[in-house]
Amino acid sequence: MGKKKNVVLPPQLPPDIEVEVSDEDLAFVKENQEFANFLSRLDTNLINRHVTRVADCKEDELEALYEKKKKKADLKRAKEEQGLQVDRVDALPIKTLEGELCYRTVESKPDASLKENDSASEVKDNNVDKGLVRLTKAERRQKMKKNKKEAKRKAKEQVKEDASGGGLHSDVLAKVEKELSAEEVFARKKIKLAEVGMSLLEDPESNIKCLKELLHICSEKDHNIAKLGLMSLVAVFKDIIPGYRIRLPTEKELEMKVSKEIRQTRFYESTLLSSYKAYLLKLIALEEDPSFHSVAVRCMCILLDSVPHFNFRENLVAVVVRNLNSSDDVVRKLCCETLRSLFTNEGKHEGQVTLEAVRLISELVKAHDCYLHPDILEVFLSLKFDEDLGKARPKENAKVSKKKKRKKYLEQSNQLPSTDGKRRKHELMTKTREELNADMKSVSFTPDNDERRAAQSEILSAIFGTYFRIIRHCMDSSLSRPMLNDISSIRLGQHPLLGPCLTGLGKFSHLIDLDFMGALMGSLKKLAGHSGSHCGSTSNSLTVSEKLQCCIVAFRVMRNNLDALNVDLQEFYVQLYNLLLEYRPFRDRGDVLAEALKTMLWEGKQHDMHRAAAFVKRLATFSLSFGSPEALAALVTIKHLLLRNSKCRGLLENDPGGGSLSGLVVKYRPDASDPHLSGALASVLWELSLLSKHYNPSVSSAASSMLSTAGMNPPQSQAFLSTVSPTKAFEDLTTEQELFKAANKKFSPSRKIKSGNEFVLMNAEDVRKIESVGDEDVVEGKFEEHFKLLKDFDENERLRLELDRTSAAFRLYGEYRQQKKLKRKAKEDKKRTCL
Amino acid sequence: MRPLDEKETTAVFEKLFKFTGPNLKHIVERPETEGPDDPPGRYCFRLHKNRVYYASETLIRRATNVSRERLVSVGTCIGKYTKTGSFRLTVQSLDLLAAHARHKVWLKPTAEMSFLYGNSVLKGGLARITDNTNAGDGVVVYSMSDIPLGFGVAARSTQDCRKTDTNAIVVNHQADVGEYLRHEEDL
Repeated sequence: MGKKKNVVLPPQLPPDIEVEVSDEDLAFVKENQEFANFLSRLDTNLINRHVTRVADCKEDELEALYEKKKKKADLKRAKEEQGLQVDRVDALPIKTLEGELCYRTVESKPDASLKENDSASEVKDNNVDKGLVRLTKAERRQKMKKNKKEAKRKAKEQVKEDASGGGLHSDVLAKVEKELSAEEVFARKKIKLAEVGMSLLEDPESNIKCLKELLHICSEKDHNIAKLGLMSLVAVFKDIIPGYRIRLPTEKELEMKVSKEIRQTRFYESTLLSSYKAYLLKLIALEEDPSFHSVAVRCMCILLDSVPHFNFRENLVAVVVRNLNSSDDVVRKLCCETLRSLFTNEGKHEGQVTLEAVRLISELVKAHDCYLHPDILEVFLSLKFDEDLGKARPKENAKVSKKKKRKKYLEQSNQLPSTDGKRRKHELMTKTREELNADMKSVSFTPDNDERRAAQSEILSAIFGTYFRIIRHCMDSSLSRPMLNDISSIRLGQHPLLGPCLTGLGKFSHLIDLDFMGALMGSLKKLAGHSGSHCGSTSNSLTVSEKLQCCIVAFRVMRNNLDALNVDLQEFYVQLYNLLLEYRPFRDRGDVLAEALKTMLWEGKQHDMHRAAAFVKRLATFSLSFGSPEALAALVTIKHLLLRNSKCRGLLENDPGGGSLSGLVVKYRPDASDPHLSGALASVLWELSLLSKHYNPSVSSAASSMLSTAGMNPPQSQAFLSTVSPTKAFEDLTTEQELFKAANKKFSPSRKIKSGNEFVLMNAEDVRKIESVGDEDVVEGKFEEHFKLLKDFDENERLRLELDRTSAAFRLYGEYRQQKKLKRKAKEDKKRTCL
Repeated sequence: MRPLDEKETTAVFEKLFKFTGPNLKHIVERPETEGPDDPPGRYCFRLHKNRVYYASETLIRRATNVSRERLVSVGTCIGKYTKTGSFRLTVQSLDLLAAHARHKVWLKPTAEMSFLYGNSVLKGGLARITDNTNAGDGVVVYSMSDIPLGFGVAARSTQDCRKTDTNAIVVNHQADVGEYLRHEEDL
């Protein structure tokens, strides 16, 4: 049994023999049990002989020998019994502890069992590897075909199948190839691929040679086969690459005498490494070829994802990073995903590959002059930094210094009386201790903290270097740049990288060094469009959304470094104040605006009274003219500002002027560019009463609730503090609108009517009712009814007025008559008295 | 009472510009609200008994009715000329400066009293500071409830403020509202 283990038993018989062993055959066997017994006995003998003889031969020879033997056996069997090839029932394969299968009977039996084995393992691989799945399908198809053929010609087929199934028998294969069509050749090759791959996966140590064969297949002319070969090699490598880096033995080590096992492992490792290298070279070469490009990139991505610790990863990273800027969406997404998983699973490679990748990306950005697809920088967002590492440092330093001090003191005290011998002994001790520590370090699995910290800081510096480069580039180009009329510039916009760069800065803002902060704020300010008094002509080309993002990032950076100093970013407020006027609902991104409102106004705790009032006034005006989501976001912000700044509540009074609070500016100037000089405190928030009649129910209710709180005392209204942030409000309303639209899409004509009448101030309930009714006629009828009612109201009012006037006239006339009477009476009385 | 000559005007404007920056334009071009004129007159600077006053044209025209030696004050006094001939802003100008200030500093409640007694602002008492303040800029000092307390000159830029220790001086004192009590007779 011990010897048997070393024997290679390539199981190459066709997979469908088992199917052919039908009832008929079984019946035959049962009838002639003597034959069967004889056969089994003879076969075991044969195999035993074969095994004993073969064990010492080299592997290649072994194969040949084995083939020869098999052929002989086949011939013999064909002569001896035509229909009697069966009965291997009594000899099932044995599985050893190592997982190898040992077969005691004829070759056909092991093959059948192996097939089962194959299919089982393939099922396992199913979800991992597409290529293999395809192969199994192909196999099945192949089987079907063969079944048909067998019905036609039974006698010849047995031999042929033996030959075709033994995919490694190249000479037989050549013969068969002539007879088969091209399609079948393709199918056969696929089977061959699958078989070689399976044998590799089964026992990589003994079948390592097959890698070369697979590599050979990859360089075939047929593109499909070559692609399949590449893919199956990926699957194989993924499984057999060990969890460590292979270091080839030096010449000195080669000269040393080693045990057999070590030699074997060395051989295995060197073969694996060399074939892996060859495979990578091929991949990199094929990556240039347009027809192989996507396959090659996919292979490399899979490899980088699964075995980032292995040799030659630098080359893989380089190629993947280069393909980040690919114009093909699929390839780019794939590369991004790979890098992302590389960044998130740092445990696989101890963070070194991350550093490499980040460096390569920053070099790429530099080389392309910041003109790349934004996906590249979004990769950075999945980076993670361990903040505890940075914190641990000062403590350690303190400890070290304390220790050092004590050591020094001890040494000094020691050195005075010590003799030479003692000192030498002491040195020896320290040396051995250091060595021991180094050994311990190398053995322990956890990466050293110092190293990790160093790697992290390098990664950080690379990232921020990239970010700052982009920002500087944007600034330079916005000031002086001949308009590039590239196709790429049209496709990507003017500053493709700025958006993700700003998001990244916002995310990692707590890690920025304070020294950079000033420069960063300065450039952000410039980017946000702040034009100094002297250079008003430099209008830069950023969109409103990008400018808003600049403001947001500046605030994030400041907020995250709040412990350093609380800085009031006045100029960014001015910028936001002016950007509100430039905002256009469908051109710019509403969510960015809501985000800006949230970070700058809603979250900020301290606001100048004048500034807050100016923002309240402008936001109210703004919400009158824009869509309801923006309006609601603005209203929420207004509410918050009013609650926070009790002095601004004067805006809610009906009395313009603002009194002494309004400062130097007595009249409200809506066009002022500085919130401090707008004199908003002198104005009245009349917009709110208009907004309370807004067609959107949530906007109108928000406005009216604010109006109703106006009369309340401050303590009561404090309880009214809303918890909804502007972004949340914005999102809620946009989704609601989307749903609305989706529900209304069926009847577009009715929508037209609705949108045409939007400015008519109607009850929100009415609008909703109308929208819920689908039919146009019904809507028309409703409108008719509505307007009729309105007309009736008017008519009624007019009539009543007339009635009032007439009745007043009557009364007047009555009074006049009475007075006349009185006068007459008085005259008569006078006359009487006179008389 | 007379308008400032060229030299005096530059001296006054330079001082004001330190605090207000480009907003100085708004101070000079501020339209008056009283008076019958249409278009309304301007606010202007006048020198009277070594003090500089800021008042509307209408008011000044009315003040001409009072003889020079009997006129104590007109409009707002914003500063005075010292015996050596240099111009100083006094605490009365605080409201004007606060309305147009570019750089501001907010004090923690604990540091307010110290400042009102005429001391400089230390880093420890600093609650908030406007971004981009440079050393030498004029700064208006506020309490946390946005009440202007005085003004001074920044000793450090915003960037330097981050790094300095808590006892470093951030704003050098020039004037504070405590002077209304402390120097009542001088004002």
